[in-house]
Amino acid sequence: MTAFTRFCEEHTGERFSDYNALQRFSVAQRRRFWGLLLRWSGLIVEGTAEPVCAGDQVETAVFFPRLRLNYAENLLRAASSGDDDRPALTACSESGEDRSLSRGELRDQVERAAAGLRRLRLCPGDRVVALATNSAESVIACLAATGLGATWSSVSPDLGDEAVLNRFRPLDPVLLFAHGSHVHQGVVRALDERLETLVAGLPTLRGIVWLDAGPRGRDALASRGERLSSLIAAGEPVLRWPRLPFNHPLFILFSSGTTGAPKCIVHGAGGTLLEHVKEHRLHSDLGAADRLYFHTTCGWMMWNWQLSALASGSEIVLYDGSISYPEDDALWRLVSRRRVTVFGSSPTYLQYCRDAGIVPAERVGLGDLRLLQSTGSILFDSQYDWVRENVKPLPVQSISGGTDIIGCFVLGNPNLPVYRGESQCLSLGLDVRAQPAPGSAAAETGELVCAAPFPSRPLGLLGDAAGRRFHEAYFSQNPGVWSHGDSIRITPRGTARILGRSDGVLNVRGLRIGPAEIYHVLQTFPELVETMALEQEAPREPGGSRLVLLVVLRQAGSLDRALTLRIKRELARRASPAHVPALIAEVAALPTTFSGKRSERAARDALHGRPVPNASALKNPECLASLRAHPALRLEVEAV
Amino acid sequence: MSESIPAVPLPVGGDAYAALRQAVIDWLDDHYHFGDAATLIGDDDVSFLDHAILDSLGFVNLVLHLEKVYGFRIDRKDLSRANFDSLRKIASYVARHRDFRGLP
Repeated sequence: MTAFTRFCEEHTGERFSDYNALQRFSVAQRRRFWGLLLRWSGLIVEGTAEPVCAGDQVETAVFFPRLRLNYAENLLRAASSGDDDRPALTACSESGEDRSLSRGELRDQVERAAAGLRRLRLCPGDRVVALATNSAESVIACLAATGLGATWSSVSPDLGDEAVLNRFRPLDPVLLFAHGSHVHQGVVRALDERLETLVAGLPTLRGIVWLDAGPRGRDALASRGERLSSLIAAGEPVLRWPRLPFNHPLFILFSSGTTGAPKCIVHGAGGTLLEHVKEHRLHSDLGAADRLYFHTTCGWMMWNWQLSALASGSEIVLYDGSISYPEDDALWRLVSRRRVTVFGSSPTYLQYCRDAGIVPAERVGLGDLRLLQSTGSILFDSQYDWVRENVKPLPVQSISGGTDIIGCFVLGNPNLPVYRGESQCLSLGLDVRAQPAPGSAAAETGELVCAAPFPSRPLGLLGDAAGRRFHEAYFSQNPGVWSHGDSIRITPRGTARILGRSDGVLNVRGLRIGPAEIYHVLQTFPELVETMALEQEAPREPGGSRLVLLVVLRQAGSLDRALTLRIKRELARRASPAHVPALIAEVAALPTTFSGKRSERAARDALHGRPVPNASALKNPECLASLRAHPALRLEVEAV
Repeated sequence: MSESIPAVPLPVGGDAYAALRQAVIDWLDDHYHFGDAATLIGDDDVSFLDHAILDSLGFVNLVLHLEKVYGFRIDRKDLSRANFDSLRKIASYVARHRDFRGLP
């Protein structure tokens, strides 16, 4: 951060007295800023960096339209002689058997895999999908495919079949990458049956690439695919990566909302890479001496975020398996064993450690650990204290952004102090603001918006050529600015607190849950007339909240244990375990407006004992009193 | 989970054992196995860890639940296979706890 600040000062003639001054410059003069960052980053590009940004509207501006690059090439480059021998990644598992690849080995395998994919006729613009564990093979496959210009989307095996197909089907993918099995809690779980369902549900597939031995006992299915290892063994390395437009589609990520199918969010290569380089090298101070382990799966944007750290020369540590198997402190043992310098975690995991009585400092050596990052949900003040007292005194960066921008709006800064409960700073180059409610005066607290163009703004939503859904999702609520769906408080010193979701999307145990996927499963239950999924604040629960499902039954009083378990089982199977509510409660009615729309906001306010501002807009306001008084929805008040 | 001195198991049978046993099965069904817990467990002495019925994270959640329902604190040092890694061991541990005041 310091070096980049000096670089900007040299090239602008300005003096930045502190970080906030640099951040203000990066927003006020965004074209200069992003141009300088591109130069400073040393990314391999061709073409011209002008114009840096065409257009001034957040929704439609285009960055570096005349620049070309290759995402994989930038991650795999040899920064200096001897670089090839440095570790690129280490893939770890529950068994404790770690597999490392040097930068040279990784590059060689990716290049050979890419040659094999070329033989399978993979072309720029093709879309590929993966049902994969967090492994070296997933990384190789991703880089090989994207290196050829294909667009990559991945999910992890814990997502149910229906949820997987709802995400993959709209992509019309040509290739499926898949593991035939995965290990969790010491048990090998075959994916045979699921893979058959998946393949049958994706008629556009031209081929399958098995990331391991593939499905066993399903010879017909297995024979339809080729093993990645075979592609690598047979392939001559791709000697030259195609240089693609800065805004070439790189990843499609999925975001489930309150209604409809999950959004297929298309992210561009250049915007993703440049944003990640900024977040890694400047905000996280990542470099060649670092080993980054961010606990994630292939289905979460932090997997893509961590992957990009290869472009900063860092080693990435991958782990697939239970967080608490074979020992309850499995992750800390991994952090110690692999001498991780930057550990990416979550409030949910830190709370588990506290509840389990795990004191990492007493159990393992953490001498190399220099930074702990946390994301997924709000990191409470007491959790900063817990880290200091039980891990070690080290900076704790609470970072927050989202799948929608494949990056962060607020995050850390190696040059700034850490204040308990706060993210250290607003992200460079992003005009993050707290938008007050209409008619209200400007204040520190409001809706998180981004008021100026930024490169990692998604290219759009798949299947939305006119941009109508894109506009509706991010620009309709506050015209002219990007609305993110979070509430934020920005302090006078430039730190920030994310206060929670401001839209109906739920965040439970650090996982973003779109109620639409819950309703999709529940519509097959004839016993249910209406349902509503809500997030209830619950300080004792991991992540500080729990998922509650309110149901109106066709036959009042018929919510018995059998129906409750059946609902939970179907949600776990068809969506994911994360979609299973902690509590299902029968209600007589759900708050509904005169136009027939159910009001999650009114229900949430009643659930939390807050006044409902728009009760007069409801045709059945009497149901709010029942919600407030519902015995099953009461939480015991306990100290956190 | 760590290891510790093996506990004296609660004899099968009796109201306390049956109730505690069912409470654990119900909790497993509510949070993890949705009606299949009894079938998956099969036998009261089956290891939860070895048969992927519950992992260490799940045990922590179970402990929090037991503390809430039975109103006593469980020493985290007691979180061991010997005390928690089967239906019988869990029921025995709860029933033997010095602050156990009977079924709610």
